[in-house]
Amino acid sequence: MKLLTCPLNGPRNISEFTYGGEYHPMPDPVHTDSRQWAEHVFFHDNAAGVVTEWWCHNASSFWFLAERNTISDEVIRTFEASEIFNQRIDFIAASTPEGSS
Amino acid sequence: MSSIMPTEVPRRSQLSRRHIELGAEFERSGYLLLVKDYGSQTEATQAQILGLVDLSTLPRTGFKGAGAPDWAATQALNLPQQPNTCTVQTDGSLVAKLSHQELLILSDLNGKSASIERLNNTPVDPQTYSLPRADSHCWLAITGSQAAEMFSKICAVDLRSHKFANGEIAQTSVAKANSIVIRNDQGSTHCFYILTDVSSAEFLWDCLLDAMVEYDGRPVGVAALRALV
Amino acid sequence: MKGQQIQKRLPLPYGSLIDRNTEVSFSFERKSYQGFAGDSIASALAANQQWLLSRSFKYHRPRGALTMAGQDANTMVQLPSNPNALADRELISDNLAIMAQNYSGSLNNDRGAVMGLFSRFLPVGFYYKAFFKPRGMWEKWAPIIRKKAGLGVINQQLEPQYYDKQYRFFDVVVVGAGPAGMQAALSAAVEGCEVLLVDENPILGGSLNYARFDAEGIRGQQLREKLIQKIEANSNITSMTDAVCNAWFADNWLPIIRGKRLYKVRAKQTILCTGALEQQAVFRNNDLPGVMMSSAAQRLIHLYGIRPGNAAVIVTGNNDGYANALDLLDAGVDVKAIVDLREQPKPDAIVFAAAARGIPVKTGYAVYEAQKSRNHLSAVEIRKVVSQGICADRGEVIPCDLLCMAVGYTPTYQLVCQAGGQLSYDDNSAMFTLINCPDAMQVAGSVNSHWNLDACLAEASRAAIIATNALGLTSTAIPEEIAKEPVSPNHPWPIFAHPSGKEFVDYDEDLTIADIINATRDGYEHIQLVKRYSTCGMGPSQGRHSALAAARLVAAATNRTVAQTGVTTARPPFAPEHLGHSAGRSFYPARRSNMHYRHLEAGAQMLQAGAWYRPAFYGAADGTVDNSETCINNEVNNVRNNVGLVDVSTLGGIEVRGPDAGEFLNRFYTFGFVKQPVGKARYALLTNEAGVVIDDGVACRFSDEHYYVTATTGGVDRVYQNMLKWNAQWRLDIDIANVTSAYCGVNIAGPKAREVLAKLCTDVDLSPSAFPYMGVREGTVAGIPARLIRVGFVGELGYEIHVPQHCGEALWDALMDAGQEQGIKPFGIEAQRILRLEKGHIIIGQDTDAMSNPMEVQMGWAVSRKKPFFVGGRTLTELENKPQLRSLVGFVVNDLNAPIPKESHLILDGEQMTGRVTSCNYSPTLQKPIGLAYVTPENTPAGSTFIIKSSGGVRVTAEVVKLPFYDPDTLRQEL
Repeated sequence: MKLLTCPLNGPRNISEFTYGGEYHPMPDPVHTDSRQWAEHVFFHDNAAGVVTEWWCHNASSFWFLAERNTISDEVIRTFEASEIFNQRIDFIAASTPEGSS
Repeated sequence: MSSIMPTEVPRRSQLSRRHIELGAEFERSGYLLLVKDYGSQTEATQAQILGLVDLSTLPRTGFKGAGAPDWAATQALNLPQQPNTCTVQTDGSLVAKLSHQELLILSDLNGKSASIERLNNTPVDPQTYSLPRADSHCWLAITGSQAAEMFSKICAVDLRSHKFANGEIAQTSVAKANSIVIRNDQGSTHCFYILTDVSSAEFLWDCLLDAMVEYDGRPVGVAALRALV
Repeated sequence: MKGQQIQKRLPLPYGSLIDRNTEVSFSFERKSYQGFAGDSIASALAANQQWLLSRSFKYHRPRGALTMAGQDANTMVQLPSNPNALADRELISDNLAIMAQNYSGSLNNDRGAVMGLFSRFLPVGFYYKAFFKPRGMWEKWAPIIRKKAGLGVINQQLEPQYYDKQYRFFDVVVVGAGPAGMQAALSAAVEGCEVLLVDENPILGGSLNYARFDAEGIRGQQLREKLIQKIEANSNITSMTDAVCNAWFADNWLPIIRGKRLYKVRAKQTILCTGALEQQAVFRNNDLPGVMMSSAAQRLIHLYGIRPGNAAVIVTGNNDGYANALDLLDAGVDVKAIVDLREQPKPDAIVFAAAARGIPVKTGYAVYEAQKSRNHLSAVEIRKVVSQGICADRGEVIPCDLLCMAVGYTPTYQLVCQAGGQLSYDDNSAMFTLINCPDAMQVAGSVNSHWNLDACLAEASRAAIIATNALGLTSTAIPEEIAKEPVSPNHPWPIFAHPSGKEFVDYDEDLTIADIINATRDGYEHIQLVKRYSTCGMGPSQGRHSALAAARLVAAATNRTVAQTGVTTARPPFAPEHLGHSAGRSFYPARRSNMHYRHLEAGAQMLQAGAWYRPAFYGAADGTVDNSETCINNEVNNVRNNVGLVDVSTLGGIEVRGPDAGEFLNRFYTFGFVKQPVGKARYALLTNEAGVVIDDGVACRFSDEHYYVTATTGGVDRVYQNMLKWNAQWRLDIDIANVTSAYCGVNIAGPKAREVLAKLCTDVDLSPSAFPYMGVREGTVAGIPARLIRVGFVGELGYEIHVPQHCGEALWDALMDAGQEQGIKPFGIEAQRILRLEKGHIIIGQDTDAMSNPMEVQMGWAVSRKKPFFVGGRTLTELENKPQLRSLVGFVVNDLNAPIPKESHLILDGEQMTGRVTSCNYSPTLQKPIGLAYVTPENTPAGSTFIIKSSGGVRVTAEVVKLPFYDPDTLRQEL
């Protein structure tokens, strides 16, 4: 049983976690062309090497990120999501100036 | 049969039927109904070896949000410093810090801690949100010298006394049910509180009884738990 | 009687494992025997001169003890509860009835042994070659072959037994309690270091218990006593004997099996001192009972006090054979000869001692063939070695009943290799060696090719220092690496082919020299391919005794070095384990609502939806389920005509609170929520980024900054996790809390619902104008604080009432009591499914699949087009620009005699499949079957018909109707 270190709860059996997919930035949902949007939704890099992944500690519902080497399965580090997401994200409508309804 | 029955009050533990089957004697104070004992003379001794107590009907509450720690600090509470630790208050209640932004407050064993009601009736600051902790989780206590050993059959976190200090908290999986495990010794007796999704209470109760068999563990009433202090 | 048994044994101190005061009676092949407590089945039988234990897998050859260490398949026997038990591992117990396996007739006269005569017709790869063509051939032969090749028999009447699991935590785990392991544990047990020492044998000591380390034969015992004394005195060391560390998994997670318990041990550092496995010499009839490893003979003598034979020959390639000879002499065995494969042995004190005792030594000789009489070794023919693997044309025959083989070792590499270490072959020492051990793992002793006792101890101490330094408990200077002995115990080629064959490389699979060489001739040159083609190493002992010889043969046959032929992969488990060890004490969480027992008392048939118990329907008074349909229809009718009560506690509930709560829901769900009035509920449909519908519920706005959102029973945990994950990115000013279990809920539904509720709820104005359809209120019901939601899932006037969990039963009691005069009855989820279907409401996951988008399920109205963003929005825009491929429609079946279609029945256009049914039931209200189905766009207009292939292949005509089936103007739910 592999161990994963939750930034909040410390090292735990990996069965205490849910995998949340690879982290990659979402392209602008309005201005991206169809092909790029399809790449974002349906195609994944599946890279051999260090990737950043979402993980959730189930008992505390705590989401965080992990850098993992997909070749050796070594987890290089885990860190809080706020390291990447440190400010509020807003979306601007393409053509509706009054904003959200 | 007990002269007091759970149906007398609206608030009934999910484990009421289990208690009745085990011959529980209930005690009642207002709307608070607890198992006093199971009719055994040796429950206080049992609790020092390995006892299981249902505290689910006792008051408790919780708060979370970015403003919660600061708000709580204004409420005359002695707050824990680190996440996953707890502190006992002067009124007997226990404040558990589950993350930088989340607090869980448990009443004393008589349900008399003033802070719970005070907190529930005090307006909260912005970014502070109350949680229905009195109902979302069942609350069991596992006591005695064999408690950590028994836990090792159902929990992957090392809860032995020299590895898991009094006042420490583990949010983890117990018998595959997500749980909050709090070490809160009663006097010199080891005691773990376990708070688990209330709908899984009977499942967890049955798992615990099964795991306790080899250490001669038994359910005991709240009276035995109070007697430890 | 007792005296008789004791006379069969060597005197004390021989027999460290047996208790001579406790006799045990058991039977083997229905004949009764006596042994002592502590005896293995094999040792107790050996004491009674029963050496034949089993018949081999393919040729049914007689087999007996080979290792006496539970490392081979020759000793597999049938126990009443357990096939394929290892007789040299399993202990005897009173009245244990043991049978041999894999013979026809009797163990002594196995008719199957005739198979040996046909061995030249059973070449390697036989099954592949013989049964490959013609097609279908294998199906005919497989049952016959399986019967012939079967091992033990599973007892299908077995009573279930209690297996369980337990976690354990240690700083250092030492696997193997031989000299290196004991020393490693002692050196690691520094202040603050918790050490586990685990060994599969009943006592600590490993080779110190049976092997001879000096001419006098006293050092092993002395060292053992000294180390054990220290271990017992050290409170930091926990010893576990009779315990097998059966694998290595990531991050030093070690499954250790003892008895019926699986210990899940987490170690910070692991030190493997697993020792080495002695290897056989390969010559004709090297599998006869009476031919065994030299270490097996020593185990019999020292552990069980058994003289392993009367007249012995030892074939050796190292000096351990001489130590073995001394042990045999001391035990009263007549040692006829030491046959030393080496032309010039390198003598040490032990060799000199053997010479001093007058044992004849034949240097440069090999055992060419073993001969048998009555299923046992009777003589060996030895011949001069001419060159590698080649003997002189004739030799001499030495009568004997014991042949000990001491030609080398293979490290017990399994755990190291599972951890990522590699097995390499060193041509100089003619030995497999371990390289590239992972971090947080050390190896010490003979597993790491150290053969000198002092070197083993020094290396063990060194390994312990590395481990405790890594733990930060010590900062001791690490001693220099311990140099390897210049002389290897492995003979490079103890393999002697015979014109008549039967020189076994793999005992489990009856594979001989020719089989391995033929595999290479058939084109399989990598050892992995040879293994799969020949099955070499695939038997129960997993190549422990075949890997070395097979690698050498493949290398020689293909003119490569052993290293070039590659090695096979070591996978868990190390030893066979019972299914009970994996299956025992598993946890299947079950969830119950606070009203659970009220359902049971009302005769509910419960079903499990995910982990939740839910009432399917409430049975007839007698509790039978025969008339389930009547029960369900009555429940439906009572909701339509009076009032019904259903437990909806399992429904998900999530609080979304804070200044950005509306904005968050706008982004998360498809609908618009920012302008939703306080006191109102709004349908909430959830799509993922691919635009697929994944959940639904209602969002109840209790204040500007407070929404209470429901989710499906099965979906809420995922919805909650998704919400948290998105807001970990968006960082909106909100809090999200999953309060599913904190609330119990009921839906009281039916034209008389208000009447009943009004009796218990006086602080909320229930009049239709004050509390209309899709309104939400907070108040009290029967004195219990409650959230009231006017929703219409079943299509009648109805209120969902959510109360604190612990008050669920009290609420149920109050409503059932209050509703008595209105004819209130509970209804289950079967009735609820029909009621919602009549109303045309879909169930996510039943009426949707992994491709369903909102337009397909006619939920385009629930998608807001005015928002800058919501999850799935961009993809839905893309999908809207493409032609829609299917649509979910309502249908009725007008032919009341047709078999009612079921979920997943196909819709056919001729023989072409064009869609499928997702829900279908007989509607008690409409009095005909109604359903939902995915159809092609041209089939969507009301009045179109299509064909469903129903039960038994009957084609049923269905007619598309506009949804909902019931109360199209929604007058009833808005009463």
